[in-house]
Amino acid sequence: MEKKGWDGFEIGAMLRSFDGATRDIATTLPEDRPYSQSNSFTASVADWRIEKPLFNKDYCIDCQFCWVYCPDMSIISRDKKMVGIDFDHCKGCGICVEVCPTNPKSLLMFAEQQDEESAIAEWPKKDTSKAKEEAKDE
Amino acid sequence: MSEIKKIKNLKEFSTSADRFEGANLLCPGCAHSIIVREVLNATNDDLILAASTGCLEVCTAVYPYTSWDASWIHIGFENGSSAVAGAEAMYKALKNKGRLKQPDRTPKFVAFGGDGATYDIGFQWISGCFERGHNMMYVCLDNEVYANTGGQRSSSTPIGSSTTTAPAGRVSYGEKMMKKDMMAIMAAHGAPYVAQVAPNKWKDMVAKIQKGFAAEGPVYINAMSACTTEWKFAPEDTIAISDLAVDSLVFPLYEIINGEKLNITYRPKNIIPVRDYLGAQGRFKHLFTKQYEYLIDEWQKNVDKKWDYLQRREEASV
Amino acid sequence: MADTMELRDIEVWDGNMAASQALRQVQVDVVAAYPITPSTPIVENYGNFTANGYVDGEFVMTESEHGAMSCCIGAAAAGGRVATATSSQGFALMVETLYSASGMRLPIVLNVVNRAIGAPLNVNGDHSDMYMGRDSGWIQLDAYCPQNAYDLNFIAFKVSEDHDVRLPAMVHQDGFMTSHTAQGVATLPDDVAYNFVGEYKPMNDMLDLDHPVTHGVQTEEDWHFEHKARQQHALMTAVIPKIEAAFDEFEKLTGRRYNLVEAYNMEDAEVAVVCMGTSVETAREVAEEMRAQHGIKAGVVGIRVFRPWPLEQIAAALKDVKAIGALDRSSPHGTVGALFNEISGSLFNTDTKAVLTNYIYGLGGRDLTKAHLVSIFTDLKANADAGKPTTPLQQYIGLRGPKLSFF
Repeated sequence: MEKKGWDGFEIGAMLRSFDGATRDIATTLPEDRPYSQSNSFTASVADWRIEKPLFNKDYCIDCQFCWVYCPDMSIISRDKKMVGIDFDHCKGCGICVEVCPTNPKSLLMFAEQQDEESAIAEWPKKDTSKAKEEAKDE
Repeated sequence: MSEIKKIKNLKEFSTSADRFEGANLLCPGCAHSIIVREVLNATNDDLILAASTGCLEVCTAVYPYTSWDASWIHIGFENGSSAVAGAEAMYKALKNKGRLKQPDRTPKFVAFGGDGATYDIGFQWISGCFERGHNMMYVCLDNEVYANTGGQRSSSTPIGSSTTTAPAGRVSYGEKMMKKDMMAIMAAHGAPYVAQVAPNKWKDMVAKIQKGFAAEGPVYINAMSACTTEWKFAPEDTIAISDLAVDSLVFPLYEIINGEKLNITYRPKNIIPVRDYLGAQGRFKHLFTKQYEYLIDEWQKNVDKKWDYLQRREEASV
Repeated sequence: MADTMELRDIEVWDGNMAASQALRQVQVDVVAAYPITPSTPIVENYGNFTANGYVDGEFVMTESEHGAMSCCIGAAAAGGRVATATSSQGFALMVETLYSASGMRLPIVLNVVNRAIGAPLNVNGDHSDMYMGRDSGWIQLDAYCPQNAYDLNFIAFKVSEDHDVRLPAMVHQDGFMTSHTAQGVATLPDDVAYNFVGEYKPMNDMLDLDHPVTHGVQTEEDWHFEHKARQQHALMTAVIPKIEAAFDEFEKLTGRRYNLVEAYNMEDAEVAVVCMGTSVETAREVAEEMRAQHGIKAGVVGIRVFRPWPLEQIAAALKDVKAIGALDRSSPHGTVGALFNEISGSLFNTDTKAVLTNYIYGLGGRDLTKAHLVSIFTDLKANADAGKPTTPLQQYIGLRGPKLSFF
């Protein structure tokens, strides 16, 4: 937001979340919302990250653990399916990776500069020793 | 009253459209945000929100940005409860006078405050709001410390925790007082619904939030908020630490209805030792020395005693 | 729908009843309050109106004055007409939130029944609480009698809620001297009173569910200064014209004339006192006597609008006098009285050569007698004749023991 002069903004430092009227915002997805410039949705914290989570949909079971435990609304789920990561808002905390239950994990942390293609190429295989252990536990 | 949102399972829950936005300034891995999401996503009704000064407030409304997609107000440290109570009173007045702009919609009124704002400085205001019976929910984001100002002790800080104002040292094991029992105090107000929740047990938590929204009158939610910065654990471990907290029964999950009926809502399959919970956090590191190790046993005894008490109350249906 | 109350043209009301009747007549949506002497009867009367069907808004009895103003702020941000009342220690407890209300640009009307602030504890009237509020960003109107307390409430709502203003307003009256002294008060019928203020027009209201708003953000060094400047701009430029317009309209409606500065016998005055509250009426009576009995051309300047300070109007009212006494009813604690300071600031860059001295009086409800005022006017006449102060700059009036003065 441009740094306005003292007479250039709303009184009382009031901020509006949206431009114009909204109805049923609780059932309106981000892509359909008229976010205002003042909504932090329009900002980015991408530069907070040292590492980033990358998503390998081959292993994902759409359990939505990553969605519910993401503190930054950065797991994009649509129609009950995990579809990707919002890298404008992800701070790289790594919770999604920790809570991912698949074997191998469908989300892993990579260096910020790593490209997705090479990450997928070097994705670890199923950990069979772990799988056996889990089977025993069951 | 409006319909309760159907949330059968996590897949269904994941279709929620968040009304709390990213690029807020909360620490990576902060549980506050996870709690706020579970509260807000538990309903599709309109929301009128308030926050007391604290981490959540200073990180989500720093000019020129707001992270809130519902009307939200902050006044000061002690009065988030009164702010939302005032808004609720205005809602009733305008409803009575026929001046609501959307008379067919019934918003929910929710105030958030940290444990400092709740257990300490804002205690009187909350008590006033509950005694007066405002139709509101108060959610305490309980991270057991003044995290926003750099980790000072509050009356929620548990014994043996090292904080900046009650630090562990050569002759001190840190915090000397037991954590204040806010749940009992709020239940004693006769509130229709009081519950302790943990965001890692999302289903238990969302069910309680929905019960709270359905109740008429003031509802108190004590939400455990594991703090990566002040509890001193890695940000990716927020859920793991929370699991240790509930599975060791340090944070038992229960509810009290009308101030008189207590239900335990989560019984861990395998109760883990309190030692494991304490050992996972830097704030208790000094307890793992010869000098202060006896406190770990005391901790375990206290947790066992509390769990026993909760179970006896549940059995006696009081 | 609230019942209408049939009022006689003239009712015998004390200042508290006058204020509560005004709150009832403008149909406040939320009154959140906490009782404290001497403003308690405002809240009690309002409770009584509520219990008898004359109020259909919400009446919230909070756990403290801080809680009361906090509720008022939440209610005002939600979008409706809001009012409360307090005094003294309660006012002091509210102070933190007073700054919030004005900074968030929320119209709230606060009736302040002026009372001393302890220690030592004291329930009687002085202006310590009013002075404590003077940097809080509120509009401050001052009543001298129950009639004023009634009338100024209507002015306060009208100005405060104006979308060009959106600043909270206090209506001050002296504890006990006004609040508990019954006098004849000319009333307005309920509908006339309500229509003068008009229907509340919401702005940035939280309860407009289709337009979510965020109130009470944090601003640091990059934005805070601009927001405070904007607030000051509204207080300095929008408020005075709106008050004057409201005074004009009120005069048309009622025949009662109010002014930013209430100048009395000032056309040809040689000496003048400047004061507030009930002292204004006493001073006017003594000024007449000084003219009739002592041949001293005495005048009185009463402050009607304490904030925003009507600097130009004060300077104009005092431009031709030779000696001025600033009467402060609050312990100045380490400096000259607030009125002395304000008047100095108002006159400093003008051509006046007037001698300005300061009197501290009436603390904790101590009477300001006519004899005190005679001696003040006599001092001022000596100052006028000498062209310089003949007394210390700050004198204590009505104090037991040896004379006390400073500077």
